[in-house]
Amino acid sequence: MAPSRSSRTSLQSVDLRALDYLASPSANLLCPICHSPLITPVQTRCLHTFCSACISLSLERSLTCPVDRKDLSHDDVTPAPIMITNLVNDLVVLCPNRERGCGASCARWLVESHVREDCGYALVKCAKDGCDGMVERKDVEEECVHEEVGCQFCELSVRRLDLDSHHRECPKLSSECPHCAESFLNPDLSIHIADCPAEIIDCPASHFGCPYTSPRSDIDAHTSNCHFVALTPILQLHTERITTLELENRTIRQKLELLTPPRPLPTPSSSTTISSSSNPPANDGSSTNRDMTSEMQDYTYHLYSEYEQLRADVERLNAQIRELDVKQDMARINEGLRYNDEMTGMRAAMNGLRMQLHWLVASRRETGAGSGGAGGGASRSVAGGSAGDGRRMSDSVRQVMKL
Amino acid sequence: MAAVKRVAKELAELDSQPINGVSVGASDSDILKWNIVMTGPPDTPYAGGIFTLVLELPPEYPFKAPSLRFTTKIYHPNVSNDDKGAMCLGILRSDTWKPASRIRQVLEHAAALLKEPNIDDAVETAIAEQYKNNHEDFVKTAKDWTRKNAK
Repeated sequence: MAPSRSSRTSLQSVDLRALDYLASPSANLLCPICHSPLITPVQTRCLHTFCSACISLSLERSLTCPVDRKDLSHDDVTPAPIMITNLVNDLVVLCPNRERGCGASCARWLVESHVREDCGYALVKCAKDGCDGMVERKDVEEECVHEEVGCQFCELSVRRLDLDSHHRECPKLSSECPHCAESFLNPDLSIHIADCPAEIIDCPASHFGCPYTSPRSDIDAHTSNCHFVALTPILQLHTERITTLELENRTIRQKLELLTPPRPLPTPSSSTTISSSSNPPANDGSSTNRDMTSEMQDYTYHLYSEYEQLRADVERLNAQIRELDVKQDMARINEGLRYNDEMTGMRAAMNGLRMQLHWLVASRRETGAGSGGAGGGASRSVAGGSAGDGRRMSDSVRQVMKL
Repeated sequence: MAAVKRVAKELAELDSQPINGVSVGASDSDILKWNIVMTGPPDTPYAGGIFTLVLELPPEYPFKAPSLRFTTKIYHPNVSNDDKGAMCLGILRSDTWKPASRIRQVLEHAAALLKEPNIDDAVETAIAEQYKNNHEDFVKTAKDWTRKNAK
């Protein structure tokens, strides 16, 4: 059978780009376009190296070098020095059939022939004429594995290829129980395993600390005089109480944190380690709870910081308003003072005008009473009046005051 | 197909050697669409903010440039102030993009722009003007937006 196996060539094609390399290759050997080790390397006029396929694709879109954007045509691309080609071809790759189980690795230039001729996991055509099925090279047999054959135990028919896996679950076949080594029909096995008397199980109070283990059949004898089992109801009660108290404690702590001024994260980690060391069984149950509360804690912190920020904002605004108030008050007082000054000034001016009026009226009367035909005198007195105005006015003021 | 392999490689590389303040992940269904989270650099108006971006790679990648847009609203001269949130990056323009450019470079440029906007190449000219002439107001608005949108 061996010669027929090896003579069978695989039609499976190898995508060199999809290969995995044993060691990550030097960055100098990577194509700048596909970032894989160069495949059929070529070199441009500007001395950059690419995979032949990559640079063709690139030139289809733009006639520039993908690295320095210099003008480039198809004629400027020549095969890279043979040394570079050898370097990349010598890189060690893993067989592309690795997922199916082939552990081979070889130089890249050999991988195609490995898959075509050697690899036991490469898919080859089925041995039987007329069958189009594919089969891994190691499984090639004289008979076709794609033919349906009847299971010799049940009436199902399966492909010869799948016969082994079918036998593991055929309902007419029996398998051994891993605990008691007794054989059961496949459908009944799982039912049996669930309560096999030979299975080694823990004491029902094991989570309270009882180290006893025994086959299921003997466990009853133990539980009837196990101290832990006797104490189970009380221990259970205590565990529940501790859990509720812990929960309560946590919410209270959160409230406290919310009400006290912020400080760097309190130490929930230390408190939980204390609680977990003092009470290991409750620990498992509350771990999801703790996740939730820590999430809530984050949330409350977030709310708290928001609140703090808003408070600071409001305080700042208040201060600003107060400042503005003071400023406005000052402005108003200043304005008032100015108006007062102005008013006294006006009043003084008005008084002055009144005096002047009085003086003028008085002088008119005087001239009217003194001499009737002295028109020139009157005009002179007016002209003279404008010159000695100040003094005379003050005189007249005095006169009026006296009056 | 070649694009997918290269993109997967670049993603793995960014995963093992992340850029400071930038975390990346492909969306579940599509490796050509990346979700990116950037944290606002300290000493900028964006400090403390968490910005999400989407990087979309064309099927022709790396022969065509990817596109980068903010899905978190941000007040920035180089990010369009609309629903698209497109980021204007020199390296992404079709006349400067080259197949040898990497996503890593794109993200590094974007992170640098958060630190220091490029005023001469702004999409939002009004914001750029404000950045130049009225820096205090710019910082104030940018901080406001960060607080409102990027927490």
